[in-house]
Amino acid sequence: MKLKQGNYLLAGIGLLTVVLLYLVFWVVPPAQGLGNYVRIAFFHIPVAWVSVLAFLMSAGWGAGYLRRRDMRFDALSAASARFGLIFVVLATVSGAVFSKLTWGAYWNWDPRQTTIFVLLLIYGAYLTLRAVMPEPTRRARVSAVYALFSFLTVPFLVFIIPRLFFSLHPSPVINGSGSVAMEPVMLATLLVGLLDATLIYAWLVRKSVSGRDKEVLA
Amino acid sequence: MQQSSWQGIKLVFRKELVVGLRFKAAWAAMLMFSLTTLACVSMALQGGTLEPRLLAALLWVILFFASLAGADRVFADEDTAGTLLALRIYGPSQAVLMGKMLYTFFLMVALAAFITPLFVLLLDVTVTAPGLLTVALLLGCGGIAAAGTLIAALTTGASVHGGLFSILMLPVILPVFLPAISLSAAAFGGGDSAGSYLVGMGLYDLILAVGASLLFDYLWYED
Amino acid sequence: MVTIRFEEVIQRFHGRTIFGPIQAELASGRIVAVTGQNGSGKSTLLKLAAHLLLPTAGRVVVMADGRELVGDSLRRRLAMVTPELRFYPRLTARGNMDFLLGLRGRALDETAYQALLERVGLREKEIGTAFAGEFSTGMRQRLKLAVLLASGADIWLLDEPGANLDAAGRKLILREARQAADEGRLVCWATNDEREEAAADAAIKLAGH
Repeated sequence: MKLKQGNYLLAGIGLLTVVLLYLVFWVVPPAQGLGNYVRIAFFHIPVAWVSVLAFLMSAGWGAGYLRRRDMRFDALSAASARFGLIFVVLATVSGAVFSKLTWGAYWNWDPRQTTIFVLLLIYGAYLTLRAVMPEPTRRARVSAVYALFSFLTVPFLVFIIPRLFFSLHPSPVINGSGSVAMEPVMLATLLVGLLDATLIYAWLVRKSVSGRDKEVLA
Repeated sequence: MQQSSWQGIKLVFRKELVVGLRFKAAWAAMLMFSLTTLACVSMALQGGTLEPRLLAALLWVILFFASLAGADRVFADEDTAGTLLALRIYGPSQAVLMGKMLYTFFLMVALAAFITPLFVLLLDVTVTAPGLLTVALLLGCGGIAAAGTLIAALTTGASVHGGLFSILMLPVILPVFLPAISLSAAAFGGGDSAGSYLVGMGLYDLILAVGASLLFDYLWYED
Repeated sequence: MVTIRFEEVIQRFHGRTIFGPIQAELASGRIVAVTGQNGSGKSTLLKLAAHLLLPTAGRVVVMADGRELVGDSLRRRLAMVTPELRFYPRLTARGNMDFLLGLRGRALDETAYQALLERVGLREKEIGTAFAGEFSTGMRQRLKLAVLLASGADIWLLDEPGANLDAAGRKLILREARQAADEGRLVCWATNDEREEAAADAAIKLAGH
C-alpha cells in the first residue's frame, strides 16, 4: 500500500520533470542580457530553495525529536540534512557556473553566495557531528540541539549579510513591494521547477526513512 | 528562585576560576597559541604594513582559533576528570550553563586583553578609535562565550574530538565574526563602520545566549 | 511519599539487550536491592531511575505526592553514590562539598561540617588541606557518603556503596541506609554483597542476557 503511494509519487515526479525540461528548453525565451544562460536559473533557484527548505525541515524534525523522543523524527532530520547537503552542493556549483558565465567570476562573496556557503558549512558540521557520536540516543539529542542552534543564524543570513556585501543577484522574484517582476511563462516554469524539486526532496527523504524502518524490524 | 539561581551561577563561576587557576593547562594553551600565531604573522610580515581590513581579519582569526584552544575545554575537562556526573547530579542546568558561559567570557576577555596590545605593538597598528575596538572585542568575546559553551557541551561524548569544536563553531559564530572584523577595521582607520553593527552584534549575542539557555536543558536532563 | 516506577523498561546498548522488559516499583521508606551478576545492568538501572539515561523502550516515572518529578525537580531530591562519581581533584574535601551542596542551595557551617566528617569516619587532620585527588579510594567513598547525607535528598541511589570500605565502613552504610529508610527516604542500592542484599526489604534480580 505504502509502496504503491510511493510509486504514484515517483510517476508524478517523472512526469513533472519531463514537463519542466520541455518548458525550460523549448518554451522559455532567451532572457534579456542573460541569453540562454537563463535556463540554468530554472535549475539553480529550485535547488537553492530546497537546500533552505531541507535545513528548515531538519531543524523542525529535530525539535520534534526533542519533544517526543521518537527516533523516527531523528531519522527524518538526518535524512533531510543528508539530501540537503547534496542540494546545497548542487546549488553552489550551479550558482558558481551561472556567475562565471554571466558576471565573469565563479565566486565573489555576493550575499546570497555567502548565505549558501554558511548553509553548506552548517550541513557539513551537522553531519560531522552525527558521524562522531557513537551512541544513537545521544546522537539524536545532540544533533537536534545543533540543528536548532545553528538555525539562529537565519535572521543574520537574511537581514544582516545583505547590508554587509554588495549584491549582483537579481532582486528576489517577488520583491519588497509584492509585485512580480517576471514574465508569466518564466514564472510558471519557475513554479513548476520549485514544485518538482520539492517533490524530489520529499520522495528522497520518505524513501530513505521507510527503508530504515524495514531494517529495524528485520 | 531568582536569588538561588544567581547563587548557583556564582558558585559555578568561582569553581571554574579556582580549578582553572590551579590547573593552568587551559590558560597556557590558549595564551601560548595566540602568542605563537601572532609571532608567526609578525615574523612573516617583516615589518611590512597591512591594510586595516586585513589587520582586523588577522586579529580575529588569531582570537578565534586561540579561543578554541580554551573554550572547548569547559565541559571536556569535566568529562575526562569524571566530575561531569557529580555536576549533573547536583548542578541545576541553568546555573551550570550560565556559570560556565560567564567563565568562558572572562577567559576570552583575558585573552583579548593579552593579545590585542601585543598585536598593536608587533604589527605597528594605529588605533584611531580605541573605544570602538574595545566594544567590538567585548561583543565578540560575548558571542564566542555564548555559542562556545553550548557547543562544548554538545561535543562531550564524541568519539573524535580534534577539530570538531571549530567545525561546529564556525557557522554559528560567523554572524559575530564578520561585523567584528568590519568594526575593528574601522577602529584601525579603515573606513567608517555603522553603529548598527554594534547593535546587531549585541542582539545576536543575546539570541545566542537565550538559545543556548533554552536548548541546554535537553542536554542536561534526560527525560 | 516518593515512588519510582519502571514501566516495561528495556535497555539496549549497541544492539545488545542489557535487560528488560522490567516492571517494578520502588517506594520511599524501604530499601530495595538491585542484584545480578556483573554486566547485568545494575548501574544502568540506577541511572535510569535518576533520569541520567533514557531507556531504549518503556518509561521510568518518578512520582512525589501525586506529582511527576522531571528535570530539575527530580535532580533536587536525588543523591547518588556510584564508583563513577568523582570529586574535583583540585579542590579540597570542603571545597567539593561547599560547591556541590551550594548548588542545591545548602550551606554547611563549621560545626555541621565537623559533625558530618565524624559521622562518616573522616578525620579533619588527614584531609584538611589535601585535594580530593590525593585521597585514598576508601576516603573518597566516605566523602561521597558525606555529600549524600548533607544533601538532604530523599531519593538515595547507591551503586556498590560498600565497595572499597573496611568492615566499619560497611556497617556505617547499612546503619545510615536503614535510618534513612526509617525517616521515609527511598533507598535503592545495587550490590553483590550478601549482607547488603540481606539488609534490604525487597530485591530486584536482574537475570542478565
